[in-house]
Amino acid sequence: MNIDQIKKEFPIFDEKIQNNDLVYLDSANSSQKPKIVVDRINEFYTKQFSNVGRSVHYLAVAATNLYENTRTSVQKYINAKHKNEIVFTKGATEALNLVANTLGQSYLQEGDEVLITELEHHSNYVPWHFLRKSKNIKINFAEINEEGEITLEEIEKKITPKTKLISITHLSNVTGAILPVKEITQLAHSKGIIVVVDGCQGAPHLKLDMQELDCDFYAISCHKMYGPTGLGVLYGKKKWLEELPPYQGGGGMINEVKKDRISYGELPNKYEAGTMATAQVIAFDKSIKFLESIGIENVMKHEADLVEYGQELLQKNNSVKLIGNPKNKGGVLSFIIEGVHPHDIATILDEDGVAIRAGHHCCQILHDKLNIPASARASVGIYNTKEDLDQLNESINNCKKIFDL
Amino acid sequence: MNLKELYQEIILEHGKNPRNLRKTEGFNKDAKGNNPLCGDNIHVYLKLNGQKIVEDASFEGSGCAISMASASIMTDLIKGKNEHEAKEIVEDFLGMIKENPELKSKYLSEDEKTKLMCLSGVKQYPMRVKCATLSWHTMVSAFDEEMEEVKTEN
Repeated sequence: MNIDQIKKEFPIFDEKIQNNDLVYLDSANSSQKPKIVVDRINEFYTKQFSNVGRSVHYLAVAATNLYENTRTSVQKYINAKHKNEIVFTKGATEALNLVANTLGQSYLQEGDEVLITELEHHSNYVPWHFLRKSKNIKINFAEINEEGEITLEEIEKKITPKTKLISITHLSNVTGAILPVKEITQLAHSKGIIVVVDGCQGAPHLKLDMQELDCDFYAISCHKMYGPTGLGVLYGKKKWLEELPPYQGGGGMINEVKKDRISYGELPNKYEAGTMATAQVIAFDKSIKFLESIGIENVMKHEADLVEYGQELLQKNNSVKLIGNPKNKGGVLSFIIEGVHPHDIATILDEDGVAIRAGHHCCQILHDKLNIPASARASVGIYNTKEDLDQLNESINNCKKIFDL
Repeated sequence: MNLKELYQEIILEHGKNPRNLRKTEGFNKDAKGNNPLCGDNIHVYLKLNGQKIVEDASFEGSGCAISMASASIMTDLIKGKNEHEAKEIVEDFLGMIKENPELKSKYLSEDEKTKLMCLSGVKQYPMRVKCATLSWHTMVSAFDEEMEEVKTEN
């Protein structure tokens, strides 16, 4: 695999960012886009545009086919059993809200418990909090260990007879910990508990096999997966999506509408109300093709090498403290520098063209637990190289110099 | 963009050793502020005497060098000013951070102006402006004794 060649497929790296070459280490936030994805959006709007699933004219039929092609590509990519288990949403956040909202309407009852973890992004906590308010459910938190991991044992410890649902991240966007989702699901299912997975960080960086994971729901963020913004995917087991009520009402999701009754459409239309992000869906097919052309095993190997290299580099750098040291780790390097606030780090690194994220990364629960208000985070994607991490380390040294450390 | 302009010696020094980072004993005005984007928070305490003059000002909280230095310099120079003067200074400071090339308030000495102008480098970093202004917005709500926490967006 030739990373230089892959990097050339991303037009942004031809740009000078404040006179610097871009060292993009913020892919856990959002990935850059390969040219084929950008071009596809342009091509669709320029030559093929029509709304989908409604009109019978040529363009509408062609656009509908393209839209449905992506659904098939996603199904194959994540090895879902049925095509209509793939629902497009406006993002992973909406996917998780859809699950919480519909389960809240028809499945979860007052007093039921939902188990999440201290690693969760706000989008996998706040939707459950809504149910805590409206339905009086209880939210329990599985706690991280010293390494920033959530173990199967910890999950087992926190399950009570009232636990109805477990909602967990596949890969922590702060500590990088990869959770044993398959094992957690086996355990949960043996107790009749539903499993929801926030796959925002998992989907771009890990091999996905829904039938093997066996989770009930899996939320994907397309813009973190070399795809367009404004698009997410919800995978849901057919039996759940059939059983649960619709999330939003509007055009496209109905079967029959009368003054006294309304019946809803079949899957997946039932969950795709209104005009969808058509161009994004059609372009997302190219993101999947892009990932397939490299091979997810190669992506995982490259990113694991990068993280190992970066971890060693930063561990050797005095006054840099890495957050979390999980055995199974994805492409995330979160750190603090004693005496320099993460926002100052990010601003100083930016001056060298090094783009990282600073803040709580939408994980305030985790930062409270770690007793820090914020952290700095470098995260990798397929286009990153060891030279990028060398530049990160060098810019950190410059930061230490400015702060006289 | 110029890092040296942003991280001037005086900012780094105040950031490292913030003045008035404590809770004023017998304070009679206070307010909390936070920046929801980054999780930084601050609590400003004021002690006004019978003539409504700031006898003491202090703050607690954590944040970046810019926000710590800004709160440090603010609490130092606001002492001895009355509410009217303090609020005019706040307006002047916020105007300078956003667009004005200089400070105009007659309630600021030349020395105070020089100190505050050290924060002017923030102008070139729009994402960091809120770091410099959080403590100032919070002080205004302390004067007004608003019950809600201040949130800065700019």
